[in-house]
Amino acid sequence: MAATATGIHHRTYVSELRLRATRSEYFRLGLLTVLLLVLPFVLDNYWLSQVNLILIAVIGAVGLNILVGYTGQISLGQGGFMAVGAYSSAIFADRIGLPTPLAIIGAVLLSAAVGTFFGLPGLRLKGLYLAIATLASQMIIEFVIRRWTWLTEGQGYLNVDRFEVFGFKVGARAVFEQQWYWILLILAALTVISARNLFRTGLGRSFMAVRDQDIAAEAIGVNVARVKLTAFAISSGFVGLAGALTAHYSEVVSWEKFTLDVSILYLAMIIVGGLGSIAGAVYGAIFMTLLPEVIRQVANAMSSSVPFLTDQLPAVRNATFGLVIILFLIIEPRGLDRIWQRMKEYIRFWPFRY
Amino acid sequence: MSARTRSLAAMAAASGLLLTACGGDSSDGAASDQPIKIGIIADLTGATGDVGAPYNDGMKAYIDWRNSDGGIEGRQIEALSNDYAYEVPKAESLYKQYLNDEVVAIQGWGTGDTEALSASVGNDELPFMSGSFAEPLTNPEEAPYNFVVAPTYSDQMRVALNWIAEDSGGKGEVAVFHNDSPFGTAPVEDGKNWISEKKLDLGYEAYAMPGGKQNYVGLLSQAKSQGAKYIVIQNVASPAALVAKDIAAQKLDMKIVCLNWCANELFIDSAGPKVAEGHLLIQPFAPMSADKEGHKVIKDYIKDKGIDEKEIGTSWVQGWYAMDVMAGGIEQTLKDGDDLTGANIRKALETMGGQDTGGVVGDGTVEFTAESHRGSSATGIYEAKGGKMVEVKAGATP
Repeated sequence: MAATATGIHHRTYVSELRLRATRSEYFRLGLLTVLLLVLPFVLDNYWLSQVNLILIAVIGAVGLNILVGYTGQISLGQGGFMAVGAYSSAIFADRIGLPTPLAIIGAVLLSAAVGTFFGLPGLRLKGLYLAIATLASQMIIEFVIRRWTWLTEGQGYLNVDRFEVFGFKVGARAVFEQQWYWILLILAALTVISARNLFRTGLGRSFMAVRDQDIAAEAIGVNVARVKLTAFAISSGFVGLAGALTAHYSEVVSWEKFTLDVSILYLAMIIVGGLGSIAGAVYGAIFMTLLPEVIRQVANAMSSSVPFLTDQLPAVRNATFGLVIILFLIIEPRGLDRIWQRMKEYIRFWPFRY
Repeated sequence: MSARTRSLAAMAAASGLLLTACGGDSSDGAASDQPIKIGIIADLTGATGDVGAPYNDGMKAYIDWRNSDGGIEGRQIEALSNDYAYEVPKAESLYKQYLNDEVVAIQGWGTGDTEALSASVGNDELPFMSGSFAEPLTNPEEAPYNFVVAPTYSDQMRVALNWIAEDSGGKGEVAVFHNDSPFGTAPVEDGKNWISEKKLDLGYEAYAMPGGKQNYVGLLSQAKSQGAKYIVIQNVASPAALVAKDIAAQKLDMKIVCLNWCANELFIDSAGPKVAEGHLLIQPFAPMSADKEGHKVIKDYIKDKGIDEKEIGTSWVQGWYAMDVMAGGIEQTLKDGDDLTGANIRKALETMGGQDTGGVVGDGTVEFTAESHRGSSATGIYEAKGGKMVEVKAGATP
């Protein structure tokens, strides 16, 4: 564990288990809360829509990090599990007529079940082999949503009604983004809090035990098979939630939103943010969602002097994505989260090096 | 030390990015005398960029011409055009941006993104035209703000099947090669239904064309074992040209019938005039070589700008006239003295009657009604002859 500030001594287990030990940590939490509360009133609708996408990505990235970062099971099936959440929620809500919250809960449970099923190879496979097995799950789910026409009634895509919960319906375009912001913020916050707390429980610790050394974990009494499947279930549940929210937020579900690219994008998020860290998943989601936007703004600003940038924007964007991932792997494999920690330490110990 | 400096620098950069992310302006695009803002979602570099880029150029050229001609009712048009590389999530993000910029109408591109956005444009009341002519978009009950300028892919498929039934003497085998996307699959089912509905004696098999292929020999051998003499292609020009080359190389006795996005000069030029010779092109927008009355204004414009007419392909003309029809609706709204809102533009487009395109689109007129957003159902049939598109039949309807 990273060093806490001078003068902090834990005398009880309860105090050691606390998420925040110092006053500055509470101060930062307060600052963050204020920022999140003010955000929808200072951003215009477009930037708010980007923030909403970030909040959905946070939920998905936290879910993926539980599986990849904490349990050590590499998954390339993210896009597929999101698709399960999106399609099932849309069908539960609009075709079967369940109330939206129930539809979303149903979608989360179904995604968890599908994730557990596709996690079965994880009992026998590790590392790259598991990556290929989950790649297969991505391909299978993609095939299903593209070719099973009854899912979309032959349309190829599903329209989703405007989000409605307990009689409250999200409004027209002037307030659409703002109202979604609050809904997504609450759900993202709940996701982060529950995931953070998961790893203070015995179950969460057994995830990490399996990641660090599965044979040793088994020797100390961890049921590896059950832990791996539980990790797949919990992770896919969160990912399914992200998928369901994508469906209700963008109001249309089509297979093109859940391709292998999405799986890779989410892997990039948690690599850039920091594997095995909830905060890292959040940083990664913010970074990878804003990156293309920033590249576009920069390219537009420089379009007169370097027209190549705007002409070849998608290519430039892909190249930058690749570059960022490589740079992170070389310079700081533990991602933005570790960079942030080192910054804090640098300031805390300044002017001393250690 | 250097690692710390690096991490600090990275954080500084990140916070810099966050700062640039804030801010933004809002202006009222609907106020009078302000420029009329139209958002364009264009594919310049993506999978369909070969025809998407000239389509975008055509739209921008139209706006340039219209603005120098005094604009619409004295107001200039401001086009916001951005590349989305045929990726639906990027189109959605651009859409949100245009929404925030308060555009009054949107020109989109692909079938996937047009369908993905159709619910949103309905809720946000923004008229949306696009390069996609998928049938579901013509139904105002399902897609109230989508307008389809040309005959749908399904109508083009029906025309193609009618022609094949006639050409083959009543009995034939048809293989449909389609792009593996919503755009590609759009007319496949309708074509099948058309055959059973009209009791045409045609065999019919659909094959998805995998993207990024160097050749389509495998697909052609499947079509060959089916006994297909006709290959209907629903894809863009470059892959269709590859199919034509493979047919020539394999010395197969097959005739290509290209629908819309591969029915253009680009197909003939990339395949080579010899290889393309005799293949059929279903194209609802008359190419420059057809020399219709509606081409005159384009000819004058490019003469002014010093652009060679050979560079103006059919996709370019499509962009020009798609924008022309949209501008027609906006003009009518202003003439009616209504506020320039999406709802009013929709009303104008639905009630203004037919818009004359000088014989370029379909049978010349594009007309929408409150019951149908199918602008036209007639299409031209062309044959590749000596490197040119030669008209076989104008205004063919299913």
